[in-house]
Amino acid sequence: MKIEHKRLSTLMITLSMMLVLSACGGGNTASDKNQDPAAAPDTGKIKLKVYAQHFDEDTKGPFDYAVEELKKEMPDVEIELDSAVQDGNQKLKTYAATGNMPDVYFTDWPTLQTFAKSKNVELLDDYESTAQYKDSLNPGVESRLIAPDGHVYAYPDTGIEFQLIYYNKSIFDKVGIAMPIKTIDGLAEAAKKLKAAGYIPMSIFGKEKWISAAFYNGLVTREQAAGFGALEAQGVTELPQAFVTAAEQMKKLQEAGLFDANATNTNYDQASSQFYQGKAAMFVNGQWEIYSSEEKLGGQVDWMYWPAKDEATYEQTKYNIDGAGSPQGYAVSPGSKNKEIAVKVAAFLAAKSAEYKYTKLGSPIISPKTDKPIAADVPVMMQRIATELLPNAKEYAKLLSNTQIQNAINDNTQNLLVDGFATENFITNLNRTLGKENQ
Amino acid sequence: MNKYLGNKSALALFLLPALLLYSVILIYPVLQTVVRSFYDWDGLSTAAFSGFANYRELFNDPLLSTSLKNGLIFALVLAAFQIGLGTVLALVCANPRTRGRKLLKTAYFIPVVLSVTVVCQLWIAMYDPTNGLVNKLFELLNIPYRQNWLSSPTQSIIAIAFVNAWQFMGYQFSLLYAGVKAVPEDYFEAATIDGCGKWRAHWHVTLPLMRETYKFCFTIAITSGIGAFVQMLIMTNGGPGTTNYTMTFMIYRYAFMESNYGYACAVSVLLVLISLIATVVINKVFDRGQNA
Repeated sequence: MKIEHKRLSTLMITLSMMLVLSACGGGNTASDKNQDPAAAPDTGKIKLKVYAQHFDEDTKGPFDYAVEELKKEMPDVEIELDSAVQDGNQKLKTYAATGNMPDVYFTDWPTLQTFAKSKNVELLDDYESTAQYKDSLNPGVESRLIAPDGHVYAYPDTGIEFQLIYYNKSIFDKVGIAMPIKTIDGLAEAAKKLKAAGYIPMSIFGKEKWISAAFYNGLVTREQAAGFGALEAQGVTELPQAFVTAAEQMKKLQEAGLFDANATNTNYDQASSQFYQGKAAMFVNGQWEIYSSEEKLGGQVDWMYWPAKDEATYEQTKYNIDGAGSPQGYAVSPGSKNKEIAVKVAAFLAAKSAEYKYTKLGSPIISPKTDKPIAADVPVMMQRIATELLPNAKEYAKLLSNTQIQNAINDNTQNLLVDGFATENFITNLNRTLGKENQ
Repeated sequence: MNKYLGNKSALALFLLPALLLYSVILIYPVLQTVVRSFYDWDGLSTAAFSGFANYRELFNDPLLSTSLKNGLIFALVLAAFQIGLGTVLALVCANPRTRGRKLLKTAYFIPVVLSVTVVCQLWIAMYDPTNGLVNKLFELLNIPYRQNWLSSPTQSIIAIAFVNAWQFMGYQFSLLYAGVKAVPEDYFEAATIDGCGKWRAHWHVTLPLMRETYKFCFTIAITSGIGAFVQMLIMTNGGPGTTNYTMTFMIYRYAFMESNYGYACAVSVLLVLISLIATVVINKVFDRGQNA
C-alpha cells in the first residue's frame, strides 16, 4: 500500500514538473519576436507604436506638438501612443524580456546600456537621420546624442538642463542676507541667520537620492570642472581631493542647518511647497523648475551660482556648470518591421519636441538647432541663463556612466544630509566602490 | 472514507491541479532563482555562467551586513511587540470578566485590514521631527526626547519596525486568542484550586499548552522581519543612504535599479536559506521543550 502510494506521488510530481518546465521553458529572447506593427488595412497607413512620456503638461505638450507636426510631414504614418509610466523603466524592460518592444520608445542612459547588451536597441550610427541630427546639434550637447562608447542609440529631445539653487529674494531681504553668496562660509552663515529667523534655509527633496548628488556635484564643479565624470577613469581608486573637499563643504553646510531635519524623508511636492509657501528660503532643482517658480513666486525668485571655498575660486569657476546630461531620447527597436521609417520618426519626434521647448517654453539650449524664433514670453530667470550663463559657460560636468559608482554617490550624499554621518564615512564608502569598479 | 481514499485515480485527478499550480508559482521560480544565481545576467541578455562569483561578491558586500543586522532588529521588534503584547491582550480578552471584549478584539484587528501605504503615510506624519505627534507627545509630557525618528542612522530601523509591529499585532493577537481559547478551562481551574494565582496559572498552564501556536507565531514574526521591505520603501526609501536596507531591499536594488539579476538571485537564495534555517531553529527550540 505504502509503495503504491509512493509510486503515485512520484508520478504526480514528475508529471506536474514536466508540464511546468515545458510550459515555462520557452525561449524569450527579446528582440527576435517581431511585433506586428501592421499597416492598417483600411487606411493604408503605417502604424507605429511609440512608448513615450505623456503624463503631465510638461510631457504632453512637446509630444502632442511633435505628433501634430508628424502628421503634416509623414501623413502615411500613424502613431499609436503607449504612455510611459514612472516606474524606473520596468514596463519597458518587461516588453524587452517578452519580445514585445514598441517600434519607437523613449528611455534613459542606464536602460539604453542594458538594451544595447541585449540587442533591444537599434544602433543608429549609420542612418542618414543621425548624420542630419549631428549636423544640427547645438554645441555642448554632444553627450546627449553620442554615448560614451561612441555610438548613437537614441535621439535626444533635451539639451543642457542646469542644476540651480533658487532663492526667495523677499526672505533674503527681510533677514538681511546680501547677494551674491560666494563662499561656503557665506552660505553657512546665511543658513544660520535664516534658521534663527524661523525659516527652513533650503528645502530639498532628499527622499530622491539624485538631488543630494546633484547638490554635491555643484560643489564638486567648483574644484573639478568635470564633476562626477572624473570618477570613471581607470586607476581612480581613491576619492580625488576635489571630491573630499566638496564632501567636507556639504557636511559643513548640513551642520550649519542648511537642510531641513527631515530632508531625507521629504519628497518633491513637500519640498517645493515649503519653498512656494515662503517657509523655505532656498530650493534646489533643475532649470525646469523655473516655470513653476516664476508662476508661483513671480519676481520674488531668482537663482544663484554654487558657492566655492573662497571668493577667488568662485569668480574663477562659477561658470563651470553641472547639467550637460547623458544620452537619452527616442530609440528604435531592432525588431520593428518598419525600422527605416521608425528611425526617421524617432528623429523627427525628438527634433520637434525640442522645437516645442524652444519656441513655446523658451528653453535656450535644445539638442538640435531650430530656425524658428524663441518663445516671446521667456521667464526672466531663463533669459538670465541664455544671456549671462551660456555665453560664459566654460565647461560642463561630464557624464558618469557607471551605475555602481553613481549609486554609491547617491547613497552617501543622502547620508550627508543627516546627523551622525561623518565625512570620513563618506570617503571610506566611496573609496571602497571606486577600488572595486576602477581597478 | 476509505472507499474514496482507495481510488487512486480520483485522488490523482483532484490533486493534480493544486500540485500543478503550486509548482508553477513556487517550485519553478525557486529552482530558476537558484540556477540563475550562478550566472552573470542582466535580466535580458544571454546569461553567462559565473560559478560562485556572485556568492563570493555577496559575502564581501557591506550591504549584506547592514541588511542582516536590520533584518535581525526588525525580527526581534516584531517578535517582542507582536507576540509579547499580543499574548497579554489575548489573555485579557479571554477573561470572561473583561468588559467590552468584542469591541477590544475588533479594535486590535482594525490596523491589519488597513492598506500598508495608508499606515506608512500615517506614521510618516506622526514621526515628523517638527510637527509630528510622537515628538509633540514627548513635549506635552515634558520629556526632553525629541527625535529625528526616520532620519537617524541608528534609530530609524526600530521606528520603521514598530510601524509593522503595530499594524500586524492584531493578526498575531487573533492567533494567540484562538490558542488561549483552545486550552481547556479545566486545567486552568485545577491550577487555581491548587492555589495558583491568575497570572501564575497562565504562566504554568495556559502558555505551555499554546506551544504550537507560539511556534507558528514566532515563525511568522521572524521570517517577516528578515524579509521586510515595504515599510522601508515607502517610509525612507531605504535611507538615509542604505541604513535601512534589508535583504529584500538588496534584491530590489540589484535587480531593478542595477539590472544585476544574477546577483539579486544569489541574495534571494541566501534569504530563502536564512528563512528556512530560522524556521527549523524555531521548530527545534519549541520541540525540544516538548520532549523534555
